Amino acid sequence: MGRKFVLLLFTLVSLISHSQSGNLSGKVLLDDGMPAAMAHVMLVGTKHATITDQNGKFSFEGVTKGDFTLQVSYVGMKNYWQQLHLPLNQPLNITLSNNEELLSDVTVAVKSVVRETEELPYAVTAIDAKPLQNLNLDVNQALNTVSGIRIMEKGGLGSKFTFTLNGFSGNQVKFFMDGIPMDHFGSSLSLNNLPINMIDRIEVYKGVVPVHLGSDALGGAVNIITNKKRNFLDLSYSYGSFNTHRSSLNTAYTSKSGFTTRAGLSHNYSDNNYTVLAPIRDFDEHRVVGEREVERFHDRYRSGSARLELGVVDKKFADDLLFGILASANDQQVQTGATMSSVYGGITQNSKSVIPTLRYSKTNLLPGLDVRLNSAYNFSESQIIDTLRGVTYNWLGDTAYTPGSNDGELQRTFTTLTDRSASAQLNANYTINPQHSLALNYSYNYFKRKSFDTENLDKPSNKFPRSLSKQIIGLSYQYDISEKWRAIAFGKLFMMNALTYKQLDFALETQRTEAVRNGKQNFGYGLATYFFITPKLQLKASYERTSRLPDPDEIFGDGLFVNANPDLKPEQSHNLNVGANYNTSLAKNHKINVEGSFVYRNATDLIYQIVKPSSPETSYGNVSKTRNLGVEGNFRYRFKELFHLGGNITFQDITDRADSIFNESYNNAGYQKNYQYGFRLPNTPYLFGNVNAGVSFKDVLAKRTTLGINYYFNFVEQYFLSWAELGSADTKKVIPRQNSHSIELTYSLQGGRYNIAFECRNFTDELLYDRFYLQKPGRAFYVKLRYALDY
Amino acid sequence: MISIRKTGKQALLLSAIAAITFTSCKKEDKVSTPIEDNPFVLSLAYQGSDGTFTYYTLPVNDVMSGTIKEEGEGIEQPGYYDFTQIEDNIYSIGGLDDVDLVNIRQDADGNLTEYGDISFANSLADLIKADANTLVGVEMRSSSDQIVFHTIDMGTVRISNTVNHKVTDITSLKGPNYAGMRVSGNYLYLSYYIGDPTTFATPTVDTAYVAVFKYPELSFETLIKETKIGSIGGFNIKSGLITDEKGDVYALSHMNPANGYSQSSDSTGMMKIKSGQTSFDEDYYFDIQAKSGGKNATHLVYLGNGKVFAEMNAEDVSAQSRWSDGPLETAIIDIYTQEITFVAGVPQHAGTGRRLPAVHTDGMVYLPVTHDDGDIYVYQIDPGKATAKKGAKIEANFVAGLFRL
Repeated sequence: MGRKFVLLLFTLVSLISHSQSGNLSGKVLLDDGMPAAMAHVMLVGTKHATITDQNGKFSFEGVTKGDFTLQVSYVGMKNYWQQLHLPLNQPLNITLSNNEELLSDVTVAVKSVVRETEELPYAVTAIDAKPLQNLNLDVNQALNTVSGIRIMEKGGLGSKFTFTLNGFSGNQVKFFMDGIPMDHFGSSLSLNNLPINMIDRIEVYKGVVPVHLGSDALGGAVNIITNKKRNFLDLSYSYGSFNTHRSSLNTAYTSKSGFTTRAGLSHNYSDNNYTVLAPIRDFDEHRVVGEREVERFHDRYRSGSARLELGVVDKKFADDLLFGILASANDQQVQTGATMSSVYGGITQNSKSVIPTLRYSKTNLLPGLDVRLNSAYNFSESQIIDTLRGVTYNWLGDTAYTPGSNDGELQRTFTTLTDRSASAQLNANYTINPQHSLALNYSYNYFKRKSFDTENLDKPSNKFPRSLSKQIIGLSYQYDISEKWRAIAFGKLFMMNALTYKQLDFALETQRTEAVRNGKQNFGYGLATYFFITPKLQLKASYERTSRLPDPDEIFGDGLFVNANPDLKPEQSHNLNVGANYNTSLAKNHKINVEGSFVYRNATDLIYQIVKPSSPETSYGNVSKTRNLGVEGNFRYRFKELFHLGGNITFQDITDRADSIFNESYNNAGYQKNYQYGFRLPNTPYLFGNVNAGVSFKDVLAKRTTLGINYYFNFVEQYFLSWAELGSADTKKVIPRQNSHSIELTYSLQGGRYNIAFECRNFTDELLYDRFYLQKPGRAFYVKLRYALDY
Repeated sequence: MISIRKTGKQALLLSAIAAITFTSCKKEDKVSTPIEDNPFVLSLAYQGSDGTFTYYTLPVNDVMSGTIKEEGEGIEQPGYYDFTQIEDNIYSIGGLDDVDLVNIRQDADGNLTEYGDISFANSLADLIKADANTLVGVEMRSSSDQIVFHTIDMGTVRISNTVNHKVTDITSLKGPNYAGMRVSGNYLYLSYYIGDPTTFATPTVDTAYVAVFKYPELSFETLIKETKIGSIGGFNIKSGLITDEKGDVYALSHMNPANGYSQSSDSTGMMKIKSGQTSFDEDYYFDIQAKSGGKNATHLVYLGNGKVFAEMNAEDVSAQSRWSDGPLETAIIDIYTQEITFVAGVPQHAGTGRRLPAVHTDGMVYLPVTHDDGDIYVYQIDPGKATAKKGAKIEANFVAGLFRL
């Protein structure tokens, strides 16, 4: 596959070399020297019109010789005109000047990339990471403030988590880093350890996923966009409670000739030795003798990653051509099982990945044609280790030893998973004219896994490697009906091909192993539109009929006890979002943004593992159906640069809509009435929200300083582990209502070059749970030092 | 199991929160059903659409009419549980993560309450009554190289003694799966069958094994091996051994693929160990298959005077589908006269592959039976007449326990 892409790249490069005559290119800067992204650039009286990219760059191809007028317009800036005699030998450098008159007009605001993203017809939330970079955050914590998202963590730094978006979770939501799917990156490059300082912004697509992120997501996608500044240095270190150290270095250098280097290093360490209220088991009496506040003693987490990208930017043949390598590793002690009733002192897991990447992009490769290619190859290896024999721990850290026992703490294992995966995404955008454009995406993913357990040599999965390839083709058509009204229609074709081996006639003379292949395909389609009723009030609606293709494990099982189900269908969902967004200023300095949306999800054929009490054998089936009727609301208020207040709330009524459940052991048909039809899904938050407020003072104690104080509040209503409708009140297992409060103080000097932040998280020291009976950290303090330089 | 009792103060706080806030609970306030002095108790299992189970244990006055379902009264236990009744106590064995033993009993007001705080690291294969005030529980699974006995005081629900045995001291075969356990006289009889811990295949089926331990010392005495019948018991059904009033122990071999066997031999049937003996009685052999017309007994409940309530697999071993625990027919077996009488009026049905949730009370046996359409009904079986009457419908995914306190 790799070879094909090299070939493709050469083809692209040769195409470019044939079409380079009569070019006009340049860069548009704002008056402060920052690039002007999304500025409109046109040659008056010609068909040549475009908008600048994130770096302020534009180019026209195939421009004839002669005299022209170049016009550049940008919200909040004075329009710019320049007489040109083409061809030019050098790219243009244009600096716009501030339009004070226009800025004072309350109807116009400068739109950032984040704002532009949020105005797309999709149900999309963009998180601007820049204001968060002084804080001790990872991507998860930033995402957890978005309506519709709940990240349920099992513990402290690096702990396992479940990401849920409008009720979808696991592989139903897809993650990308700069457009590269993160599916097989491994746990060492994950939302719980990526430092916020390497990130420019995060885009969350709810329900409807644009074709350019070619994927078979069932319920949405998250795209993490790393910092793309050409020349910068960002160095940070934080230290805090539970012996937590986090450091990151991110830098980029671009020479005048266009040679560019981007590099990043990050490191996370925590003992996670926070105090929990835990049941103490007495080994002699085999009973829980009471509950005590104890320190977690086997929960250390370490991770590190390094990134390097080398290449060229702003060349005739490429806006970006970057070769990169990502390397990461983590290791983690495992303290508890599914709840705190089980406590471990020897179980560990680790993961390491090496990921070479290649990125290429070119706007106006041919007139109106923009091309982008993202590809990655992933080598990763992860291990689960439970090799203590005959040892049992309790929460006091005491052990009981059974001489001669070979039993592990949970289940004795030393399993190594060896994964290889490749992914490539090719996007082509063709602007037919300013009103009509087409986008095509082709994405290819290949995944292969081998697993080996040295403690259980007979394990079936030792013998059966699994592989899966997926191809997704998406086509979308965008029509700007008017300046106020945009519509995008799209279709997607999903194809997969999976391969594994299955053992037949186990333990009989005819026992044999056979290769099993399985191919599936499915279509998806959708529509997204917005309409500005007034420049301040935007209406949005988007709908997608989506599919998620089954994973190899789901189709094939493990070769023996998890049986294959060749009839397994993709999971499907109808996703609809309807929303409105109102932006206004009450008076000159009071800016208000209110957003509300209605969320509808109707998911069918959901895949789950069928459990049979009578048998160790299981398989995956398409039985479950759920429906989500939800509403989300966001509010933001800002008074000058001095004060801001924001919040959001999510209510999601996710109900079970399956008529039947499947369990072969009850009768020959396997299907049985689902007695929970219409019940709200248990163990799922249904009402949650966030509030944040902050003040910011300039020039405190010294010039060019900023002092900020921010307060964060996070709320999740109590929910039940099992159905609310069943069980007597005094025996119900609850995940209690969560109220957590955090406060931070930041001080920046020299216009943001030197920064120091103090944070107190969960300052009321609440008992916090995301998962049933898995307590999260209590009150914690952090300090973060950061040096940031743009040059 | 993680019950409120473990969370102490937190629980109070939670209850307070629950009381003062609106929750997702759509439950209407309802008046609790008055509970009889000796109600039936059902442990009902509900399966989530994600494949997980939650168990609810609730009292029911009438199991012969109407519809029985959980409506906010049952004791909730999410995870995996096995329920067994010993005298007026129900015991739940299992948990969400670890393994607890909880005594469910009627309090002074007649309400069911949870009692006890026993917690094990590994699963308890079974719990039986050993003497007037003592229970014996055993930790045993084919993947472990330990067999651990716990004696439990019935009154305090506390462990009084724990004894570990290495599997290798008893057998060199891998690995023994629990089949059944009985205490008679000064011995504890522990039967097992050999099943591969990784593949669950049954590589050796030609020998019946009963390990004999001294009781109450729980020291290993001897291993009874017998080739007249094959392996005893089956996967997860726990009814390989029964005892009669005389203290004689009867061992059942069926080797049903429907109960996990990957191969079977023809040597099925029943043998007995006379009270106080450490070997099978060579004079007793009950060829159940021959007497029943080719059908094997699978689940047994001893009724008295040699009469046994039995669930018989209607199919020959060659025709059974593996792990199906069915199709079952109901019969009354006399282990003294070796007569088998099939009960009329109970449709052929599949079992749950678990301990049989049948109760013998007031001369009747009550058994939940799953019909082909998936609906479950209680059947009242008259063992004397070998007749059955269909009773209440049960709205649950399966019945994990049916008891009479």
